[in-house]
Order: sequence, then structure tokens, then C-alpha cells
Amino acid sequence: MTTDQRPDFHAALNSLEETTMDMADRVEKMVGMAVRSLVTSDNSLVTEVISSDDKVDELYMDIRSRWMQIMARQQPMGRDLRMMAAILELNNTLERMGDQAVNIARIARATAGLPREETILAKLVEMGDLVKPMIRTSIDCFVRRDADECLLLPAMDVPVDVLNRGMWKHVVECGHDQPLLEWATRMVLVSRALERVGDQAVDIGEQVAFLMTGDHHEFTRYTG
Amino acid sequence: MPTRLEPAPVMVERMVSSDPASSPSTSLESAPVIFDIRGLNVYYRDFHAVADTDLDIHQNEITALIGPSGCGKSTVLRCFNRMNDLIDGARVEGRVLYHGIDLYGPAVDAVEVRRRIGMVFQKPNPFPKSIYDNIVFGPKVAGWKGNLDDLVEESLRRAALWDEVKDKLESSALDLSGGQQQRLCIARAIATSPDVVLMDEPCSALDPIATYRIETLMRELKERYTIVVVTHNMQQAARVSDRTAFFSVDVGTQGQRTGRLVEYDSTDQVFTAPSLKETEDYITGRFG
Ligand SMILES: Nc1ncnc2c1ncn2[C@@H]1O[C@H](COP(=O)(O)OP(=O)(O)OP(=O)(O)O)[C@@H](O)[C@H]1O
Ligand SMILES: [Mg+2]
Repeated sequence: MTTDQRPDFHAALNSLEETTMDMADRVEKMVGMAVRSLVTSDNSLVTEVISSDDKVDELYMDIRSRWMQIMARQQPMGRDLRMMAAILELNNTLERMGDQAVNIARIARATAGLPREETILAKLVEMGDLVKPMIRTSIDCFVRRDADECLLLPAMDVPVDVLNRGMWKHVVECGHDQPLLEWATRMVLVSRALERVGDQAVDIGEQVAFLMTGDHHEFTRYTG
Repeated sequence: MPTRLEPAPVMVERMVSSDPASSPSTSLESAPVIFDIRGLNVYYRDFHAVADTDLDIHQNEITALIGPSGCGKSTVLRCFNRMNDLIDGARVEGRVLYHGIDLYGPAVDAVEVRRRIGMVFQKPNPFPKSIYDNIVFGPKVAGWKGNLDDLVEESLRRAALWDEVKDKLESSALDLSGGQQQRLCIARAIATSPDVVLMDEPCSALDPIATYRIETLMRELKERYTIVVVTHNMQQAARVSDRTAFFSVDVGTQGQRTGRLVEYDSTDQVFTAPSLKETEDYITGRFG
């Protein structure tokens, strides 16, 4: 039987992980709200994404400073050290995911008055519907220490990449109409942001694999 | 006529064995093996202190032995220079090859072994004599014929103590600080031109600054010597050593506690991603 000889340290480490997961939950919601704000042109959603991001930035700073304190005071080793490394990486990744959600919401606000093209919008909604479960899966894998399920993430990312690469064709088709083209050009940025979020979910999956195995994994990313 | 303990060239050239339990998986160049230990069992009368241990010690490296109290670290360390011979009732079984020579072979001279393989203890233990005499005592006993003044200066310089004591070589070693006394003991250990320096918790009585000095010194010394260090301080093992051996204790049905080697690998590997859960539990503080 093993007893925890460092209960205070491990409590601090668990609490740091909980804060990181709290941040992840917020970011996941932000991405959903951001895509919805595109469809509904609901400015209150945009405001909510931006204020959520302030909270995410706060958590980011809080995690960083607690992380430094734990490193200085506790000198983690082994799996604890890998957990610390993974948390630092997740903290950065989640903060950037939050920024992508804000980018999308700002574009929604800026394009609210413009005409829009339903095919493009449907593709973006589809990308959002693909990316949100990726975030969920990556976070669940982290919480459950599931180094197997995180291997699904690169495959989940494939349709996101395909949709992103197909986007420019739809935009070109809007070329006849100046205001529509303005809207569509901004939607390329949205597509790009969602594609980045998908990649970031794969990054989180790689951290789970690292945490569990100690090997630095770069998952094979599908191209083609 | 005692066997001369000259390095046996063939054995010195021998590379790391391919036995996964006794050779690291990662990152280290395969330095020559100078101690080749197989099936080591140590008993204190009928008490089985250490069981079935295989271990290679590599030349010009620092090897750390870690593990919970009573797991047999000091016992194993004492097997490297036959210090257990001095303990009543101690019995060593198995093979301890040093440069290919069986250290426990009948013709081997234990005194010569201890000259080649020096030891530094937890508590600095200088003789109650002058600094100078502490250094020259061992070499004189061994019949050393060179210039003693030079030997004293050289040994104290290598132990990073010369500048602090060069003007008071005749004063008592006991007037030195704890950290200075420990460096004097290291100087004394290296004055006999050993091949290996064994250290049993050499810093546990020292403050952090003295500890860092000794650690720096250990890294300098490994250019010339092979060092095996027992430490309770995992951070110290992580800071100074090239390889780390983790020992643990098995508790038998009658409550008897027998130590054994659990994992042996490069220090980088052991402290970031050990291969066994038992090691991970220990280094992350989940045990007992
Ligand atoms: N001289 C001795 N006579 C009898 N038993 C001994 C002797 N020295 C050690 N032992 C026993 O052998 C076991 C291993 O002791 P050892 O001193 O090698 O452990 P250790 O790992 O160095 O512990 P610590 O970290 O506390 O120094 C212990 O159970 C100890 O009681
Ligand atoms: Mg001991």
C-alpha cells in the first residue's frame, strides 16, 4: 500500500489541474458561443465571449504564478514533473484557443450588417460542430489519463482541415458582389481560426500521451 | 602474495552489459564498467539485508544510490570496498568484480582494496590531528615515497579546500567548519590516489552552500575518479549523478525487511519518466 508522503504538494498540483480544466470548460463554451454569434448576429453573445476571455486570461496568469510557486517550492519529479510540463503547455494552448474564439466573435460583430452566403455559413457551423467535440475529447482524455482515446484526435481533425482548405472556392464564388465578398473574406479568417482550434485540441492530446508515457509525441497529422 | 589490483585492460574496455535490469536505456554513452556486481546478497548474521542485486558501475561517472531508509544503500556501498569485512556477522554472497577481479577472492588484500576505493562518510570524521597530518596519514601507511608537501597541496586543491587552509596546515582539523571538514575528508580520501570514491550521504550534515560546494567538487572529481554516492536527498541525486539506482524494501511474512534494487537507469530517465511504478511512487513521494 502506498501512502502519499507529500499531501500538500499533491493537493496544490490537483488544484492547479482543476483550474486548468475550469479554463478548458470556459474555452470550449467560448468557441461554441463564437460560432453561434456568427449565425445569430447576437451582439450579447459577442460580449459574453469577450468577457469570458478576460476570465480566461485571469486564469492563465493565475495558473502561471501558481505553477512557478510549485516549481520553486516542491521540485516535482517523475509523473508529477510531467504533469507540470503538461499543465504549462495546456495553459498556453487554452489561452490561444480562447483568443481564437474572441477573433471569431469580433468578426461576427464587424460583419453583422453585411449580406451573407448560407453555404459558407453552414460550412463554418459544421466546422464548429466538429471542433467542439475535439476540445471535449482532448479534455476528457486529460482528465481520465486516457492515452489511447487521444489518438483519435488527429483523425477527428481531418474533416476540419478539409473544410478549411475548401473554403476559398466558396469565397471566390462571391466575387461578383462587393459587400458579400467583404463578408466572405472575413469568413476565411473564421475558418482559419476554427482550423487552428482543431490543431490545438490535437496538441492537448499529445500532452496526454506525454503525461502517460514520458515520450514526446507528435501525432501523425493527416494531410491530403 | 596479495593480488595486485591493477586495472585489467580487457575488462575495463568492456561495454555496458545488455541486461536491461542493470544498464540504462537512454542517453548515456557506455562508459567502461568498473564494478560488475551480480547476484549480490548481504546478510547480517541470519538477517537478509540485501537480496539479488545486479549493478554495473561505470568509470568516471557519478552513480547515486537512493531509496527509503533501511533499504540497504549503505550496505551495498560497503560491498564496493569490503568495509563489511569490518562488521561482525556481515556476510557477502554473489559476485563483485572490480576491473574484472573478484574483490572477495581469497588472494585479494582488503587493505589494498580500501586504498584503491576510498570512502567518505556522512559525518565528517577527520582525525584529531593537524590538517596536514590528516592528508599524509594514509599515504604514509601505504609506504608513499614522494614529496609529502606536494601531496598535501595537490589533494587539498583537488578538494577545493587549499585556498581556505593553506596558511594553517598545522592547526587542528577539528577547528574547521563542517563543510571544510567534509572537504578535508574528501582530500584525505583522494590523497591515496584511489580509483573510486564512495560517499555515504556526504552532505547530510552540511548547510546548502557547503552542499553545493561538495556537489561541484564531485562533478570535478569525476573527471579523475569514479564516484558512488548514497543520498537521501533526491534533488541532490538528480543534480549530481549520471545514473541512479533505486532500492526498495520487501517486507517478508515475519516482518523482515530485505532491500533490493528496483530500477537502475540514467538519472534523466529515473527522475522524469522511470519505467516502474514503484520508482515513480517513490520519487513523487507516494510510498510507505
Ligand atoms: N552492522 C549491522 N548489523 C546488523 N544489521 C545491520 C547492520 N547495518 C545495517 N543493518 C541492517 O541492514 C539493513 C540495511 O541497512 P543500511 O544501513 O544498509 O540501510 P540504508 O539504506 O543505508 O538506510 P539509511 O538510509 O537509513 O542509511 C537495515 O535493516 C539495517 O538495520
Ligand atoms: Mg545508510
